[in-house]
Amino acid sequence: MMMADAPIRVLVTKIGLDGHDRGSRIVAAYLRDAGMEVIYTPPWQTIAGVVKLAMEEDVEVIGVSSLATDHLIIPKLMEALRDAGLRHVHVIVGGIVPDEEKAALLAAGVSRIFGPGSGRDEIVESVAMLGQQSRSERVDEFSETTL
Amino acid sequence: MEAGGAAASRLHRGLLPSTGAALTIGFTGPPGAGKSTLIDAFVAELRKSGRTVAIAAVDPSSPLSGGAVLGDRVRMGRHTEDTGVFIRSIASRGHLGGLSESIQQIADVLDAGGRDVIVIETVGAGQSEVEIVEVADVRIVVNAPGLGDDVQAIKAGILEIANILVVNKADLPLAARTVRQLRSMLSLRRESDRDVPVIETVASSGQGVDELLRAVLKLVPRTPAEREARRRARLHRLVAEAAAAEVRGRIMGRTDQAVLDALRQVEAGELSADEAARAVLKLCRDECDRVPPLAAYDTRVERNEPVT
Amino acid sequence: MTRTAIQLPLPGFEQAQGEWRSQYSRQIGDEKPVRNRSGIEVQPLYSPRDWSGERYLEDLGFPGQFPFTRGIYPSMHRGRTWTQRQLIGLGTPEDYNKRVRRIIDAGATAISLLPCCSGFRGIDCDEVEPVLLGTCGTVINTTDHMDSALDAVPIGEISTAMNDPSPFTLLAFTLGVARRRGIDWRSVTGTSNQSDYISHFIANHQFYRLSLPGSRRVLLDHIEFCRRHVPNWNPVSVVGQHMQQAGATPAETMGFTLSTAIQYADDCIARGMDVDDVLRRFTFFFDISISLFEEVAKFRAGRRIWARIARDRLGAKDPACWRFKFHGQTSGVDLTQQQPLNNVARVSIQAIAGILSGLQSLHTDAYDEAIACPSEETARIAVATQNILRDEARLCDVIDPLGGSYYVERLTDQMEAEIESVIARIDAAGGMYKAAEAGLVQTMIGESALAFQEQVDSGECKIIGVNCYQIDEDPTVPPAERPNADAMNRHVERFKAFKRERSQEQVARALDTLARAANSKDENIFEKVVDATEVGVTHGEVVSCLRRELGFGHPLIVA
Repeated sequence: MMMADAPIRVLVTKIGLDGHDRGSRIVAAYLRDAGMEVIYTPPWQTIAGVVKLAMEEDVEVIGVSSLATDHLIIPKLMEALRDAGLRHVHVIVGGIVPDEEKAALLAAGVSRIFGPGSGRDEIVESVAMLGQQSRSERVDEFSETTL
Repeated sequence: MEAGGAAASRLHRGLLPSTGAALTIGFTGPPGAGKSTLIDAFVAELRKSGRTVAIAAVDPSSPLSGGAVLGDRVRMGRHTEDTGVFIRSIASRGHLGGLSESIQQIADVLDAGGRDVIVIETVGAGQSEVEIVEVADVRIVVNAPGLGDDVQAIKAGILEIANILVVNKADLPLAARTVRQLRSMLSLRRESDRDVPVIETVASSGQGVDELLRAVLKLVPRTPAEREARRRARLHRLVAEAAAAEVRGRIMGRTDQAVLDALRQVEAGELSADEAARAVLKLCRDECDRVPPLAAYDTRVERNEPVT
Repeated sequence: MTRTAIQLPLPGFEQAQGEWRSQYSRQIGDEKPVRNRSGIEVQPLYSPRDWSGERYLEDLGFPGQFPFTRGIYPSMHRGRTWTQRQLIGLGTPEDYNKRVRRIIDAGATAISLLPCCSGFRGIDCDEVEPVLLGTCGTVINTTDHMDSALDAVPIGEISTAMNDPSPFTLLAFTLGVARRRGIDWRSVTGTSNQSDYISHFIANHQFYRLSLPGSRRVLLDHIEFCRRHVPNWNPVSVVGQHMQQAGATPAETMGFTLSTAIQYADDCIARGMDVDDVLRRFTFFFDISISLFEEVAKFRAGRRIWARIARDRLGAKDPACWRFKFHGQTSGVDLTQQQPLNNVARVSIQAIAGILSGLQSLHTDAYDEAIACPSEETARIAVATQNILRDEARLCDVIDPLGGSYYVERLTDQMEAEIESVIARIDAAGGMYKAAEAGLVQTMIGESALAFQEQVDSGECKIIGVNCYQIDEDPTVPPAERPNADAMNRHVERFKAFKRERSQEQVARALDTLARAANSKDENIFEKVVDATEVGVTHGEVVSCLRRELGFGHPLIVA
């Protein structure tokens, strides 16, 4: 009954080695101001850690910030999420991803990649849409497994 | 569970029989006292003995947007990969009182999930967090030196709910003074409150955390009878809360003539709000055969106080 | 709002100024106040009414004279220009060595070393996803690695700046290499960049941390060790860069940085170190934004305040301690992904601001720094920018050329007042250590960052190509230079073999000694780090030992 109105929950995190978090903090503030609940972590999360976090926190969207290199391990994250049964959790990547390395991320299941020039509205709208999408997919998954 | 609704209610019913085994510990206190860091250290101490833990950390939602940045993970980072520690960040979603509306249900889920200890961290707004009494078996009020007007920040009601008082950041110069003040405030209280221990910790280095755990374990209900009484009291409150919510929902949902009449009579000064409430309650009861017995109503409904 | 000028005995001044003002108002109409990034309102015109020079000697003096507003040395850039210090580091130690030798062959007298981010995380190369290794810096985990990285590099003659956060293993490795080569430690020169742990806790979460008290202890041990054994090394570089990049205003940044320096100096004094001996080796590291005049005023004011703090507050008697020596890096935050070549212009302006401020050392960003690790070509353009400004634009001909400008002097005074109020706020919170611990600084920075972002989002603050003058372009991110995977795998395999083959007994003993030093009050931790690395203890082993003994540091983020 409150389902549709409940705030979308988003995990904003960083995996790998880099620790620059200005971008992820600004995005966290954007999403909060748009009425979402943002679970914010320090940088350097491991892939296993992010999967556990996504599960514990029931997030619909994961935003991973990457500065030039850490996106290289995102395909592994996508695989781990799938293995954990979190297909309905959508992943977006923000930061700097060389053009020639974008295709690999999208092929691995990343929903969107935002570059440094992306604006507030673009990010917020996209996350909101993916959040809703995740909810409907989750309901489907749920009914499939219970019926 | 946070989203509420019928599915959550069914789920809750299903798991209630499996609850009651866990020890629920509440941490409250003013912002900046270091609750998250202390919980991080406290949980590390619990983990040494192999106990499994679930943490429910409540942070405020923004009153404007309804959104929230839930940052407790930042200070609890060492447990991220430990499967023996489950952390759930919860936004207050406009609920006053330092917790979130669904906190009891969430605590029950964690309990039924087989966790040995459930740790609940409140918003830390300061004075209005007495609700933790209803959810937690052991309440720890955390303070730190130099926060505003000494212990002002935690006086009023919140001191009374404490089973244990902690002065965190005890390495700061004014810590001894804060401890003295808390002790003298306790000495003015009832006999039974004077035993409340005041423990000094430095969460960032782990100092004093073992002592805190020992103090907590002393308060754990020991006999099965004690546990059962506690569980029963909790269920009693739970049912009362649920009833209150049910009645409120029904009354707010009714716009038929009988209710409008009652409202009009209140407006005209012909009925007091209390009297009107009783009249409307009666309407609800007549209308529906599934209404729970009157004894289970939250008395606040009859007094027409807001039911949260 | 301090020190407005006196009434001037200039006949006709009032009338002329009044006429100008009314003509100005007629042309402009209603005007919103214009403010710089530090929030100071900027007037359309400055005159002797704003700065008259009557306090010239007290507030400015001559270059090399207290309070050093016009420069810390008498001859400034006319005598010796700034050090050109470009950050480099990629791949294996052998990759680094090739690149650094090319730079030295080209005449460089100073080099820098940027380690792989895995080092910043406190872990060795065998604990990292191989694909990430060496993508952002050089993988150096042992003294042997450093030996390869510095092969044929004359470490006694060349100054080395290393991004080497606590517990300073890169310096320990370097000292080990010096000892192997028979080079006297007293001739080793350079700077421990990223030694400023407070700035890491506040604003740069790039680095792993020991607990806050642990970090404090290790830095002090490091300073004490260097003063005793490596006298020409700068053990402390107080870093404003992280805070400004995180969103602090230029005035806040200078205030926080000076408060941090005060904290470190007070800590050294409390330990019984000689203030003159310690302060002589303090250096500073700042971001230079594109807000040109504001940056110049920031640095001039900072120099003046530091001179007074060092002399009057900290009690240093040696004039060398009053000199505010700083390295500037053009700010990557101002660079855009859109129309990336525009960044050449931006970097030039930032560099001009830094040079006119009288800096001692400069790193100019490559124009693609916002979107990639700079390639050799873009890095060359960055260095050429410095050369053009020096040799073609001749920015070094005159010392402090903006000095005496009504605007710049007035702004310097205003920035000074603003910076001093930040310092006073930190003092009231019990100093920088406590202010950071309590989250005060983080809150202030967070507010400023959001306020600036809102100005950008609303278009009030224009960024060419981002919120105005956009062109229809396909924003591209150029390919990143990735280290050779085979070479990196071999490096990791060799490292594993090294760990197997070294004397396990010596390693265990060294780590035990290190752990005991960490738990004793009077042993020097850094000395034990140096000893440990000499018997083959690795970076990751040092860090995890100290983390265990001194506690893990969580970033002090205020959400």
